[in-house]
Amino acid sequence: MLDSCEIRRKAGAVIQLAAYCCDAPWIALQSGIKNWQRSGSRGHLLLLEILAMKIRITLVAAISFCVSIARGDEAIFAWTYTTDLLPKGKWEFEQWMTARWEKEHGTYNVLDFREELEYGVTDNFQIALYLNHHYVNANDDVPVADPLHPKKRLRGVYETGGEDVHADHDPATPFDSYHFESVSFEAIYRLLSPYKDPIGLALYFEPAIGDQETELEWKVLLQKNWLEDRLVWALNVNYELEYEKEEGGEYERDGMFEWFTGLSYRFMRNWSGGLEFWNHHEFADATIHEHSAYFVGPTIHYGGERWWATLGFLHQLPIGSAFSQDNKEFAAHDGYIFGDEHEKYYVRLRIGFNF
Amino acid sequence: MKSEFAFIALPISALVAPSTFAVQYLTVDQAQHAIFPGKSLTSVPVKLAPAQRKAIEQGSGVRVLRDDQQVWRVSGGGWFIVDEVVGKHEFITYAVGLNANGSVKQIEVMDYRETYGGEIRNENWRAQFVGKTSRSPLKLDRDIKNISGATLSCRHITDGVKRLLAFYEVALKRS
Repeated sequence: MLDSCEIRRKAGAVIQLAAYCCDAPWIALQSGIKNWQRSGSRGHLLLLEILAMKIRITLVAAISFCVSIARGDEAIFAWTYTTDLLPKGKWEFEQWMTARWEKEHGTYNVLDFREELEYGVTDNFQIALYLNHHYVNANDDVPVADPLHPKKRLRGVYETGGEDVHADHDPATPFDSYHFESVSFEAIYRLLSPYKDPIGLALYFEPAIGDQETELEWKVLLQKNWLEDRLVWALNVNYELEYEKEEGGEYERDGMFEWFTGLSYRFMRNWSGGLEFWNHHEFADATIHEHSAYFVGPTIHYGGERWWATLGFLHQLPIGSAFSQDNKEFAAHDGYIFGDEHEKYYVRLRIGFNF
Repeated sequence: MKSEFAFIALPISALVAPSTFAVQYLTVDQAQHAIFPGKSLTSVPVKLAPAQRKAIEQGSGVRVLRDDQQVWRVSGGGWFIVDEVVGKHEFITYAVGLNANGSVKQIEVMDYRETYGGEIRNENWRAQFVGKTSRSPLKLDRDIKNISGATLSCRHITDGVKRLLAFYEVALKRS
């Protein structure tokens, strides 16, 4: 049972959540670090409460939506896209939650949140709007460069850093913050349907704009079905250009080439299970090949009449390769690739419902 | 702690619970009455031999999932068959009535559990199958129109009818 103070506190958190959701797009357009909160502050604790409430509200809303909610382009994979799209005139709300953690050393925990609203413009053309935000907790996770030999690391010495740590943050101190990252727009056009053509084919484009980075992403989506469409294979080939804000306000350009593939089988009614694989290549300044990292893991999917959920896990395989001298020295460790880009473990939950 | 547990337990219980939203539009009796009103039907279940199964698959180009087929003989000629095809999440149960010459008299969707594509129950969509025989193409977007958002269901029912027409040729025509 909750006492009156607890009820007031939770009610206050819900109001804060609603206010935050209304302000979110604004926050994304503001530069600087005003929405970063120091660890242990009242604001930080409130944000954690809001995040917890957000997860709860999403889960409960997903299962207790009692109006006529339809399932649309449900994601049977956690990472890999299929060519299934929403029918014309249909809407879908989707909540993504991704946890990723563990680097070479120290602490590195990130919780990525993404709210997505999709709309079927035609049966073969779908658009979507995303809000991207995350919670980051990092401490002593990246190797420190030797001041005398900047291309070499100081053995056994680490500082706080990583892609999600703010460029202006003091690397000698832990980083613990919630941050609104960006707003994304997505457009997918399907050229071939896996239900009518020998293979499904779709083209994907996604620009994202944030205060710390701007991204442009292109994907080619392929899908092939077998066994009365119960066995689904999908392949995504992606290229991404990323402009990331550096210390001093400069922007660094990075390129990414990656491919995801997944195989999923509907093993009983409503339930599918499968495996996903991800290979990521990073290019400094979009030209210098820095590394290749590999990930694999299981995915399970439930598709009901009113909603769907997908849970996926990825584990980095210790077969990664660093190509640039910088990545060989600072990112590669025991076959894994960490550095600014990757963690060892990833778990993603996606919940979608249509209206 | 209890409230925390409830937030976890609720979605998990919903995940593991069997589907409770299945809608049965027609029972077997109702489907029989809809397709063959006033006729008496006699159950004559068929179990396919491996050679028959192979012949059906070759004739229709559609895989046979089950050897047992629920069939009824109609007084005065004709057949009533209840069948299932794979839907997006669950099986779709439907009935096909065949005239004495093996052409489709009518189809009825008995169970449909997908939210999109309920239009396959509409008379206009089902009417496309009337008169089809084992020699008909029965291809989506060729002689059967697709329904937006329900391509999988449309294709599987179309394939199912094609398979049942081949089943008639192999297992019922000479009986």
